[in-house]
Amino acid sequence: MSTPTPMSTRGEELGRMREDLRRALKKPAEQRHWAMVINTKRCTACYACVVACMAENGSPPGVAYRRVGEVESGEYPQVARTFMPVNCMQCDNPPCMKAAPAGAITKRPDGIVAVDYDKLKGKDVFERVSKACPYGAFSYDDGRFYTKETPALQAYEKAPTYEYGKPWVRTNGKPPVGTARKCHFCVQRLEAGMLPACVTTCDGGVSFFGDLNDAESLVSKLLRAHGSMTMQAALKTEPRVHYLVDDAQAADSLKACLACHR
Amino acid sequence: MTTERETSNGCQAWYLDRRNFLKTGAFLGGSALLAGQLQSAMDLMGRAEAQTLAGGGAYPLAKPENILYSVCLQCNTGCGIKAKVVNGVVVKIDGNPLDPMNLTPHLPYKSSPFDIATYDAILCPKGQAGLQSAYDPYRIVKVLKRAGKRGSNEWVTIPFDQAVKEIVEGGELFKNVPGEENRKVAGLKEIWALRDPKLAKALAEDAKAVQAKKMTAAEFKAKNAEHLGLLIDPEHPDLGPRNNQFVFAWGRLKAGRGDFINRFTKDAFGSVNAHGHTTVCQGSLYFSGKAMSEQYKEGKWTGGAKFYWQADTGNSEFIIFVGASPLEGNYGPPLRIPKITEGLTSGRLRIAVVDPRFSKTAAKAWRWLPNKPGTEGALALALIRWVIDNQRFDARFLANANKAAAKADGEPTWTNAAWLVKLEKDGAPGAFLRAKEIGLSEKDLFVVLKDGKPVAVDPYDEANAVEGDLFVTAEVSGIKVKSGLQLLKESASARTIEEWADIAGVNARDIVDLATEFTSHGKKAAADIHRGVSQHTNGFYNVVAWYALNLLIGNYDWKGGMIKATAYNAAGGREGQPFPIGKLMPGKAAPFGISSIRHDVKYEDTTLFSGYPAKRPWFPLSSDLYQEIVPSAGDAYPYPIKALFLYMGSPVYSLPAGHTNIPILADVEKVPLFVTSDIVIGETSMYADYIFPDLSYLERWEFHGSHPSVAPKIQPVRQPVIAPIPEAAKVFGEEMPISLEALLLAIAERLGLPGFGKDGFGPGQPFTRPEDFYLRMVANVAAGDRAGDEVPDASDEEVKLFLASRRHLPKTVFDAARWEQIVGTGLWRKVIYVLNRGGRFQDADKAYDGEKAANKYGTLINLYQEKTAKTKNAMTGKPFPGLATYIPAPQDSLGRPIEDRGYDLRLITFREISHTKSRTAADYWLLHLLPENSVIMNEVDAKRLGFKDGQTVKLTSASNPEGVWDLKNGQKRPIAGKLRVIQGIRPGVVAFSLGHGHWAYGSADVRVDGKVVKGDPRRGKGLHANAALRVDPVLGNTCLSDLTGGSAVFYDTQVKVVKV
Repeated sequence: MSTPTPMSTRGEELGRMREDLRRALKKPAEQRHWAMVINTKRCTACYACVVACMAENGSPPGVAYRRVGEVESGEYPQVARTFMPVNCMQCDNPPCMKAAPAGAITKRPDGIVAVDYDKLKGKDVFERVSKACPYGAFSYDDGRFYTKETPALQAYEKAPTYEYGKPWVRTNGKPPVGTARKCHFCVQRLEAGMLPACVTTCDGGVSFFGDLNDAESLVSKLLRAHGSMTMQAALKTEPRVHYLVDDAQAADSLKACLACHR
Repeated sequence: MTTERETSNGCQAWYLDRRNFLKTGAFLGGSALLAGQLQSAMDLMGRAEAQTLAGGGAYPLAKPENILYSVCLQCNTGCGIKAKVVNGVVVKIDGNPLDPMNLTPHLPYKSSPFDIATYDAILCPKGQAGLQSAYDPYRIVKVLKRAGKRGSNEWVTIPFDQAVKEIVEGGELFKNVPGEENRKVAGLKEIWALRDPKLAKALAEDAKAVQAKKMTAAEFKAKNAEHLGLLIDPEHPDLGPRNNQFVFAWGRLKAGRGDFINRFTKDAFGSVNAHGHTTVCQGSLYFSGKAMSEQYKEGKWTGGAKFYWQADTGNSEFIIFVGASPLEGNYGPPLRIPKITEGLTSGRLRIAVVDPRFSKTAAKAWRWLPNKPGTEGALALALIRWVIDNQRFDARFLANANKAAAKADGEPTWTNAAWLVKLEKDGAPGAFLRAKEIGLSEKDLFVVLKDGKPVAVDPYDEANAVEGDLFVTAEVSGIKVKSGLQLLKESASARTIEEWADIAGVNARDIVDLATEFTSHGKKAAADIHRGVSQHTNGFYNVVAWYALNLLIGNYDWKGGMIKATAYNAAGGREGQPFPIGKLMPGKAAPFGISSIRHDVKYEDTTLFSGYPAKRPWFPLSSDLYQEIVPSAGDAYPYPIKALFLYMGSPVYSLPAGHTNIPILADVEKVPLFVTSDIVIGETSMYADYIFPDLSYLERWEFHGSHPSVAPKIQPVRQPVIAPIPEAAKVFGEEMPISLEALLLAIAERLGLPGFGKDGFGPGQPFTRPEDFYLRMVANVAAGDRAGDEVPDASDEEVKLFLASRRHLPKTVFDAARWEQIVGTGLWRKVIYVLNRGGRFQDADKAYDGEKAANKYGTLINLYQEKTAKTKNAMTGKPFPGLATYIPAPQDSLGRPIEDRGYDLRLITFREISHTKSRTAADYWLLHLLPENSVIMNEVDAKRLGFKDGQTVKLTSASNPEGVWDLKNGQKRPIAGKLRVIQGIRPGVVAFSLGHGHWAYGSADVRVDGKVVKGDPRRGKGLHANAALRVDPVLGNTCLSDLTGGSAVFYDTQVKVVKV
């Protein structure tokens, strides 16, 4: 079945989500419930979200907060391709938090699972939290640069990024180098009244963002109008990233994913 | 049975391996500058680091004064971008919400830049990664001069002025290079032979008289005895002056720089040879559009526009994408993907895909037809047959024979479907019947039958509507005729639907289903075609067939049907525009002669005519034949060239069988002077004598124009958003970065070319800086296309913002006082208004006029092409067919089939969304997504051949049995890469994506000033298999071509895949 409401043009959707966001920012943080809704039927595996995230958050080699899985299934000529965007689920019951040193990973009042770079340090700590996370959300910043061993290290790699509302410059031995890194819904953008980078750049109009405590927000309406699921719900991690599934194709997509990710 | 295979790029890249980096040295003398920039940026960052942000308000990327609006050029779509600058460094790029390329609907043009600072719109991954193309450690910053043999990658850096002097003066420029001790290079001064426009016009007249056989060559020589030295060959005066031995070729070029190059090459230097690259992209698509849009004026077909149509994606209900994948390329991302995915999920749109590969677009399709490559025309004819046989065409539209009839029906366009075509003796269709011939009128009019009676047709008559009978086979006054539509019907009826299906290798059932669906949505259906249709030896006729299918439902200019691009004019010349830059040209040259690629002229009309076949093909119906530029110089046909300038082009890498260009470019006799303007040392510029560093797209000006599927009228303006990376030079006493513009201005200064310098635009109107040119063009855009169409003035706050957001730009590229002086105070605030928004964009609600596009094509569309039918193929001497027909591919340039027995697989190319042919190898974020490409093959073929997924294989073909790139510098690179075994490709077809497998572009070592600059092997991974693509067996030094529409052929090569 494919009841389309409230699917509309991306210009309208981005405009609405921007208003939703700004409305939510007027409320106290604890009254917001940030959530992401993903419609895989629209995903074309363009990877704009992956690169936008890397640029926005200054991801070095080996670090990416967002990824898109691609699977081909079936046999010629009955072939299907499935595209599946994934990032940190911002769980309400985050297993990573328990695995991390005290205070290194916290659940913010608005629901974002935040990393304290000054505390979540070391490869061993990374391995612990990474193992605890069922979604592969973490990657380790081992201090590399894309252009370090070329004729000149480029300025953009040493430019500050503004994760968690603070400027970070990657230099040896200083965070976020040597830390476990992951998606935080672009908290620096949210606080400036901007949607996450993966949402605004999304070519297919796959990703939606907003406040689930606001019944009028687009994400609330999408979840009311469509069937949805969270990943590996049985683990009771209570993710805040929801996947729409009320469509035969979307359901097939998830089946294709589950073939490898049981 | 269902099988799942992880084919992800993203998943693999998630866990990147630790890499062993090479030790690299300082590059090209530029490291000091880069290091300096870095240091100052670091200082500033240290300050930034010291301050703690006070909440989100301190997030600098949200502040309007840190954002500049410009235009992407990571591919040719040209999406609007917001470049976010921190401490002078672009750190993030996002989509411009004012630009319909990035958002549907886009924000109103009057939106304030203060309000939209926090509004990011859609951008693709290449656009997101664009700053890495600008901040590429392998950028060149000084002029490089060859210090070894061509292609040896031995360079010295030399001062800009010296390089310009050497190029202009010529001489023994390479006496240090073994073998060239005594070679004297002709400088531009010597090549710029004919300098008097009046004399040029007189010689051109006489040359024309010789062509028309009204004057003999001997008479010409006698009459012009004192000027014969100015000509390439006095025996053939129609070759034109020696100026034509200067050839300017380009790859990716947009307006602005295009106007600059043409002003230099044609209007100032007086050479006819300024050639683009259209045919390597989708030539036969453009030149089919030209043929179908030719208009009949004063007794001849003229004014055809080099353009094409696409589906109005956001409003269509059904689209057949043929050889087009808008989810990966095809001017698709930001612009078309959201319209498609929204349509698929809202239920508005259904799509079908014809493509041998199961593209990402096919993955979203209702039907996938994996056809045999080269049979796209057969498939279109099958659909046409079904539509005609089942009477599902728009008879009312097709009956309209002129403007008045179309108007009466509310149709913006009309066709010649009902016009009568005379049959030649052999029954083949030829010219249209003229009313004069049957005594119907004294005027030069066409004829239709209406209820069996002849009626004269003036195509443009707005008062007297003429409709015609659609299917006519008749004899009128003893002349055998058929209507255009009848001819189309016969062409489509040459085979049954089952036979067509068999040729195309698809199911007849699918054809019927597609045809049924196509004719079930009124005018809101479209067949949208691209390279997969046009880049065959039969490309022109494939395209014409699909466009004819669209004509059958009369969907042109209709919402949801086929629409065209419309852009605000930047060159000036329209009413109300202040600067007609083409006319502001004192002493304008009058170039004449046959072009070096023999285009826009009939072989038979020239003095070179000596029977068939000609030595090389002629291209009377196309232009910008990229695959002919270098090979024609190699054969010195129609004449030898003396200097080749190449801008932002890499024919060696980009052309099918591009390796054929290498031995010619490496030969100093065939190309005596080779100068390139490039941002890196690329696969083609590595053969240059001089490489002038250029500005990247984030440092320069251009007017990107629009694309067919964009309904609103737009003109995105590319402008400098960061300080220039190349060194500065002084030209006409002005400081400016070394760039394409600096190069041309400096040559103009040294030669004293007209139209440049202190009175370049007229007395007291200097053209001594790039901005003198480009700001005038911005002013034209601001003024609009007619009086009263101008943009508002920027407010005081906006003026302040304009200055503040450019605070990091040096005076070499930003000088507000000079800029204001250029455009005049009256226009200055309008110019700011445009630049603060990254161009000019018509509002979304103005893009449609009810159910029709507001920006219309609005005239006759040629279902039957008389001009084409009356033009001969210079190789066979036979006329080109005048309408849609199926011609099997491939054919060589003599029209003979190519079989290549023993080569059992057809090779095709495609584009991953993350790469753009030759220019994304520097983008490490994109390499993260797909570190290397592969050869993709169906499992059926893999099993048959005993191949396993992941193994390394090599491609060979009949014209490259060794399967190598021979770089003619002692190195050979095998055409080898990893094999990926999948289900989603037609068995018998293998494919590779374009963009990987570099051997230059920073991927390999070069030597500069005696020091080795280590290459970065990450940039050279994967394979580039263009060298396996078929060389034309007749010509031997270029790829296969479509001789009608000009396409360079990508998809008609049989290959073998062999173990390595």
